[in-house]
Amino acid sequence: MIQISDDIIIKTLARVLVPFIQLYALYVIMHGHHSPGGGFQGGVILGASLVLLVITHGLKGTQKRISEKSVAIFSSLGVLIYAGIGVLCLVLLGNFLDYSKLAILLSVPLAQARSLGILGVEIGVGLAVMAVMFSIFYNIATGGKQSEEDNN
Amino acid sequence: MDTFFLVIGMGLCILVLLVLYRVVYGPGVFNRVAALSAIGNKTLIILLIMGFVYHRVEMFIDISMVYALLNFIGTIAASKYLEMEGSIL
Amino acid sequence: MSITTILAVLFMVGGLFFFTTATIGLLRFPDFFTRLHATGKGDTLAVLLFLVGFCFYEGFTLTGLKIVFIAVFMFLAQPTATHALSRAGLRCGVKPWMKKEDKK
Repeated sequence: MIQISDDIIIKTLARVLVPFIQLYALYVIMHGHHSPGGGFQGGVILGASLVLLVITHGLKGTQKRISEKSVAIFSSLGVLIYAGIGVLCLVLLGNFLDYSKLAILLSVPLAQARSLGILGVEIGVGLAVMAVMFSIFYNIATGGKQSEEDNN
Repeated sequence: MDTFFLVIGMGLCILVLLVLYRVVYGPGVFNRVAALSAIGNKTLIILLIMGFVYHRVEMFIDISMVYALLNFIGTIAASKYLEMEGSIL
Repeated sequence: MSITTILAVLFMVGGLFFFTTATIGLLRFPDFFTRLHATGKGDTLAVLLFLVGFCFYEGFTLTGLKIVFIAVFMFLAQPTATHALSRAGLRCGVKPWMKKEDKK
């Protein structure tokens, strides 16, 4: 029987919309201090865009674009960015996540160093949330079997 | 102008309560999914009207865009689940 | 009351009218596919009219441009969701409503 992943209208529209959804998620991450948003909300929207891709194109079509291994690398990269900024502040003779010590490294005023530190931490959080959401959905949908069989 | 926005908002809330009848009593699951999509549309406009009433539209626009996205993804996921009888991939 | 405010009020009242007729259609039509006609077309048009009215009220600022983006997204996404739902209904065997034949 023909499945919904053979429908050309929904496939075309998902392919057109997913880049714009991801661009909007990046906007939400970047403007966390100014309007509703931040790291967690932007990460959820990024994960939702990947879920839309899996629903309309099937699992094999999505794994050609973003493999399981790169999703695992993204989750680790997000945590590395978060902890890395904290340890960098420790190395520069401050407390953990004390962004004011970053002003020595970047040679900007003190308030701007704090703002840039928070922005870096939000980016790390966004990447980690996206990867974890996608891998949770993937594992629940395939029932742990890593394939497209029906789990009746 | 504030009074006008409040009246429109109340009218939309009454329409949401009317559509809830179809969510509860719709024979079968397809009627319920269609009615939920309709409720999502009205909620989007109610959010923007609340932004105009409080004179802080800039805060509410991002929220309503995200809600439109999630409503769309939810309807497509529900229809695929019902069509393929249990799986979603 | 400038001309843009009067235009915004007109568009919003039109949007409310189409929302009302779509809801009455959703409640009183006899079948799933006819109800999907009512809510798929009526709701989309009403949301677009409302958003154009908001855009006239706000003027030519960044907020107005974001409202135009929401309108473009709703114009693309809402008919696709209706199409997906009707395909699912047809594949799962929902019977369309037929006129009853008169038995002579």
